[in-house]
Amino acid sequence: MKILLMGHPNVGKSVFFNRLTGAKVFESNYPGTTVDFMKGWMRLEGEDVELIDVPGAFSLEPKDRAEEVAVKMLAENRDSVVVCVLDASKVERGLYLALEIIERGYPVVVALNMWDIAEDKNIRIDVEKLERILGVPVVPTTAISGEGFKELVSKIKEAAPVKIEGVIESASAVSAAASAGKEGGGESAAVS
Amino acid sequence: MEKKLSEMDFDEEGTVKGIEENLRKQVAGMGIREGKKVRMATKQPIKGPVVVEVDKSVTSLGLGIAEKIVVEVG
Amino acid sequence: MRLRAQVKKEVVKVPLSVDERWDLIENISKQTVEFGAYKHTLKDAIAELTVKPLTGIPVAIAVIYGFWSFFCDFAGTLFTDGFMVKIFDEHWLPWLQSVFPGGLRNSFYALMVDAGHLEEGILVASDNCFEAFGVLTSGLFIVFGVVLWAILAFYLIFAILEDIGYLPRLAVLVDTVLHKIGLHGYAIVPTFLSLGCNVPGVTATRPLETRKQRFMMMTLLAIFVPCGAQIGIMQDLVPELMGWIFLTLAIGYLGFGFILNKIVPGKSPELIMDVPPYQMPTLRNIGRKLWIRTSGFLLVAVPFVLLGCLIVGLMYLTGAMDWLAAVFGPLLMVWFGVPSETVAPLIAGFLRKDLAVGVLGGLMAQGIMTTFQVFTSVILLCIYFPCLATFALMIKEENWKELLGSLASLVAMVFVYGGLIHLVGIILGVA
Repeated sequence: MKILLMGHPNVGKSVFFNRLTGAKVFESNYPGTTVDFMKGWMRLEGEDVELIDVPGAFSLEPKDRAEEVAVKMLAENRDSVVVCVLDASKVERGLYLALEIIERGYPVVVALNMWDIAEDKNIRIDVEKLERILGVPVVPTTAISGEGFKELVSKIKEAAPVKIEGVIESASAVSAAASAGKEGGGESAAVS
Repeated sequence: MEKKLSEMDFDEEGTVKGIEENLRKQVAGMGIREGKKVRMATKQPIKGPVVVEVDKSVTSLGLGIAEKIVVEVG
Repeated sequence: MRLRAQVKKEVVKVPLSVDERWDLIENISKQTVEFGAYKHTLKDAIAELTVKPLTGIPVAIAVIYGFWSFFCDFAGTLFTDGFMVKIFDEHWLPWLQSVFPGGLRNSFYALMVDAGHLEEGILVASDNCFEAFGVLTSGLFIVFGVVLWAILAFYLIFAILEDIGYLPRLAVLVDTVLHKIGLHGYAIVPTFLSLGCNVPGVTATRPLETRKQRFMMMTLLAIFVPCGAQIGIMQDLVPELMGWIFLTLAIGYLGFGFILNKIVPGKSPELIMDVPPYQMPTLRNIGRKLWIRTSGFLLVAVPFVLLGCLIVGLMYLTGAMDWLAAVFGPLLMVWFGVPSETVAPLIAGFLRKDLAVGVLGGLMAQGIMTTFQVFTSVILLCIYFPCLATFALMIKEENWKELLGSLASLVAMVFVYGGLIHLVGIILGVA
């Protein structure tokens, strides 16, 4: 098993990587290109697991060389768990990439990084609900201070592939339930 | 009133109404879609790029791209 | 067929289309994300002020000036002049001269320690590490006495600017200018990084979208952007000329970029770039970046500089250098207005630019060049060929057509720009 660290550029991915890995890290060159990526090991339940810092990408439809490499690395490591690092204040943009990875059948853990900044910006995210809809672990993290990392590491083994149909279903189910709840409330108010 | 994104004034807010077809995919990754609220953060002089804010994230767009996005303001 | 198509419509196709995916995301975020009232903070104010032209441009100038001051004070004054020159010239060189077997006329001694130089027809020992030109003296002095500190200072500041998130703002500010030459603002990142070392600079061209942009960027980097190693040595050798050197190179970069943009086919797409919020850099991250980049530099620089020293020394000893000087001398003197001895630094420049400037320093110490000739030589060294490591990377990055294009641009540029500088010198009466 390997762990791939994926996410947009500028979401604090390299700080994230440094926090997860020990002292032994290598910068490698993706064969045939000049795109570099970092590789290291992290301790997971007493085992050393390889962790790869995949070059930043906005989506899996590559528009430059770095994104091309990201897509190739994902395809070449079918047996990996993907830790998808999102900027918590830009969830929508981040989910785009996360969903693409989920659609391809990878077990995913979503890290809502820079959580502190999102809180400062008064952005509130219902983590539990997000977790329920996506069906994958979602953990708020702040890479700079290290908050949320213990939980994140413990969730890696829980990650399992989910079907995108399921995500769509639960998204609309939850939203239907919510609107039904509202209507119900309205009706009862009308009755009384 | 509808106008081009490139014509928005500094600090003006608006809603994205239309994006030229071939541009849609490109800007979608940055979270710019129809129906999204945008704020003009800065405009660079001499036909320089614009900087807009969408959903609290800041994106810089070349003027030629900003001309292909229509916004509703006011 | 029609039936199947209908059935297919019912099930979700994987992967989703762009619109389907966005619809799903909006559905999800509507239920889970809530944007509360938000007060703009000081950080946001700074973030915007540094990207607005009226305030951002002065800030950018201040940042670059601060960068340069630190670079000179930390690397040049503090380490090189303060410690390294003393260590190398007053202790290392005399010590080697006294213990190394052989002596001034011994070839091996000349290669490794001190080739000496002629003073009124008599071969005398050198008294500084620029002149000695041995592998163990000049070679080690260039790497550990000068360049290492320059590189360290450069990468430290660069890593801080990178981690704070300043670079995208700089990119927005310079987009206006760079867009006119077919690049976009992001090109400032590879350009800036190349001022440290052209190798990661060429690597950093990868986020440019089209082949045209990448080709232009690599060619401009290879020709007009001097690396930190070279800048460090230049700053040590000719600090008073640095302003003119940078100005000349910047004019070349923009002017030649403008021409390339007109003749290279292909598209120059406009800027679409994320401008992330400012962040507090972490010591650990900066330390790690600094270590990776500096050790990467040493790994390439040490063998190349030492080997280069040896090759140049051998060429002097065997008379190959004199032969080359005789062959290329007329061209160098007539077209570029530099003495035939300049052939030696130009040869060294194939391997390493810092070594080349070091060789030039040896020539300067002999007092055979005017200031303007030194200036012209330094510019020639910058533009005539990227160092071997950069060139190897370009072979890997470009297809043969692009590589030929880069080389053709290079040759054209050296002759046109080098000749032009000579001409300006003649007109101004300084050449």
